[in-house]
Amino acid sequence: MAHAEQAHVTLPVPAPFTGRQEIDLDVVRELVSHIHYSDFEEAQELILAALQEVNEHFGWVSPEAARIVAEHLGTTENRVYGLLTFYADFRTEPRGHHHILVCHGMSCYVQGSQRLVQDLSDTFGIADGDTTPDGELSVQVVNGCLGVCDRSPVVKIDDSFHGPVTSEQLNDLLQRAIAGRQAFTAEEGTDGSRRAK
Amino acid sequence: MVHVAPSSHLPRLTSKDEFLAFADQATQRWDELWAGDKVVVSVGVGSSSIAKGALDVLARCRQELGNSAVVREVSGNGAFWMEPWIEVKHPGAPPVVYGPLSTNDVPGVLTGARQDLAVGVRGDTAHNGIPPLNEHPFFKGQHQLLLRNSGVIEPDSIEDAIARGAYRGYFKVLFEMSQEEAIAEVTTAQVRGRGGGGFPAGVKWESGRKARATPKFVACNSHEGEPNVYKDRHLHESDPHRILEGILIACIACGAERGYNYIGGEYPLGIRRFRKAVADAERLGLIGKNILGSGKNVAFRVRTGGGAYICGEASAMMYSVMGVRGQPRTKPPRSVEEGLWKRPTVANNTETLANVPDIIVNGGEWYAKLGTENSKGTKLMTNQGPMNRMGVVEVEMGMTLNSLFNDIFGGMREGYTFKGVQTGGVSAGPLTKDHLDIPVDFDSLGDVGGMLGSGGWVIFDESVCVVDFARYLTAFNRYESCSKCVPCRLGNPALVEILDRIRFGRGTLDDLALIKRTSKHVIELSLCGLGQVAPVPLLGMIEHYEEEFRRHIVDHVCPTGTCPISATEPAPALAAD
Repeated sequence: MAHAEQAHVTLPVPAPFTGRQEIDLDVVRELVSHIHYSDFEEAQELILAALQEVNEHFGWVSPEAARIVAEHLGTTENRVYGLLTFYADFRTEPRGHHHILVCHGMSCYVQGSQRLVQDLSDTFGIADGDTTPDGELSVQVVNGCLGVCDRSPVVKIDDSFHGPVTSEQLNDLLQRAIAGRQAFTAEEGTDGSRRAK
Repeated sequence: MVHVAPSSHLPRLTSKDEFLAFADQATQRWDELWAGDKVVVSVGVGSSSIAKGALDVLARCRQELGNSAVVREVSGNGAFWMEPWIEVKHPGAPPVVYGPLSTNDVPGVLTGARQDLAVGVRGDTAHNGIPPLNEHPFFKGQHQLLLRNSGVIEPDSIEDAIARGAYRGYFKVLFEMSQEEAIAEVTTAQVRGRGGGGFPAGVKWESGRKARATPKFVACNSHEGEPNVYKDRHLHESDPHRILEGILIACIACGAERGYNYIGGEYPLGIRRFRKAVADAERLGLIGKNILGSGKNVAFRVRTGGGAYICGEASAMMYSVMGVRGQPRTKPPRSVEEGLWKRPTVANNTETLANVPDIIVNGGEWYAKLGTENSKGTKLMTNQGPMNRMGVVEVEMGMTLNSLFNDIFGGMREGYTFKGVQTGGVSAGPLTKDHLDIPVDFDSLGDVGGMLGSGGWVIFDESVCVVDFARYLTAFNRYESCSKCVPCRLGNPALVEILDRIRFGRGTLDDLALIKRTSKHVIELSLCGLGQVAPVPLLGMIEHYEEEFRRHIVDHVCPTGTCPISATEPAPALAAD
């Protein structure tokens, strides 16, 4: 297939450092202020939606952010934290600069996604849900499916899909992503380019 | 993402006639678009094609053409193997679909130089030697009702949808039919629940209508967390108005004051497009108070899930909507007696509700003519694995697995040999080569240990070790167990542990008996559907491929070389997870 060959040519675009790891509580207040409700029942229905907004914006939900959501919707922090730990989409730890999703759908599994997870753990020391100590990489194993089954095994690095990938290719992609971001922060703002050299 | 703005040019319709006039206008605009003297270019944009660069293709088309042509963002058409694709219609010629292509192919396709990329003509007759798309084996065997608009309309445009017939069933239920008549059509159609259970929808609606407590709700379950099914995602992305119309019809027929759609958080594009559909319908006056002057009221809410597979179970889904942990409860009371906020709630799968508009418009009898004796209509199917063509297809019930796999999906890719197919997501057993002449419907597959379920097929080839695969399926259920009841919470990890023992070469023949005993406990004692079927795939694997399990246990050999048992170095103490 033509696409399988092209898949590795594109470099992932390293995201510039945005400082999003720190949750700005004013932004959280701003986000939840758009969530309106008319009664107690509706407020409860909106807890998940509010948490999704925060999670989508920052990549994770801190206890302080959870408290703001709870206050806005008239519920307890406890209840909010119960939801955060039950639903797999939420993170309660900050992400790395590059967030990797490893698809663990059946199709990817039978084509070797377990090996990718194993190698991430061997090379970078990160298992599902972990972030490297330098904050460069974080990984999440998607127990469902990323829905790009004809390119399995597939990984999603930041916003771009790559597949099919082998361990070496994944390693290479990540090394380049890290190098690209470091090069970017070194010459921050000089040319406005987000693409790695 | 909670708020998606409606299109600002839409009027507010307050009467029957205004709706009919609006529909006529939309149809006229649609016809003019295709009969006009401008080039019309449509790019298929869905989650799967975005992953392959469809947005870049779209941007390139806009850049190449500027204002000289109409560039439309339609959804994918289910054929993942030809993505990204674009459809080019020159004045006086039928639309031709090209794919798969890269951004660099775009100029050539637009000028007509790259005829080699043409897949087919969207229409009935060949053009310039390009055959009609419907003659392509992938589309030829399909019977498209739900997918009729996918890849054709712009999902963000309510006018496109209305021009192609949306909201006609809703209109009929609002003005021309009583609640009883509407439900009678659904009952006559004998449409069964598409989420896996196969419960007749008409019966459920009737008990919903008869329930005395008020207010009542209708909840559409669009949470498909199974690792191989993407039909609901595709429906949301391609034709959100069809789903919305189905839910609204159900609300009117059952006398519910509010409709819900609970969408899994896994597909943001589907959620955005569906929210847009709701916003547009609200602005047009199809949702709200005194709809089109009929005196009927329906409110609507979209709720999104957070990546928990268990929330596909109806009671867990309702808890999730209510903002608590999605853990199922014992039944009875069933949800039509006590559902959301302890009120009667009719819960249906997306695909079931998406069938409803056509049933209301064309009548239950028409629908009942499709399909087999006990399974009426069509079914969406998705596939995974090393096959030539991947995608979402819609076939009439009763097609054999052989023609589904070999004709539509194009058989196995070169270099792969068919070994088996996992049916019913993670909730049923596998089928082998011997079962491929079985018709696809709700009942036939059950006889051999398979299940239609939500219509996802995972085809695995000879290089896949069944022990390893069984472990994957069991581990999936272990991970997704909500941990409420003990048999499921402890039984699934125990099963994984036994399988690991076998994979690492420390299994004994007693382990097979132990698996069966443990599975029996999990199946019989678990509270909800997840636990009750969690060990079924494993049992099916043992039943059909016992020899391979024995090879692991007795000979300490993994025939495919997948399991750690076949590694030359000593196995690590714990299973990699």
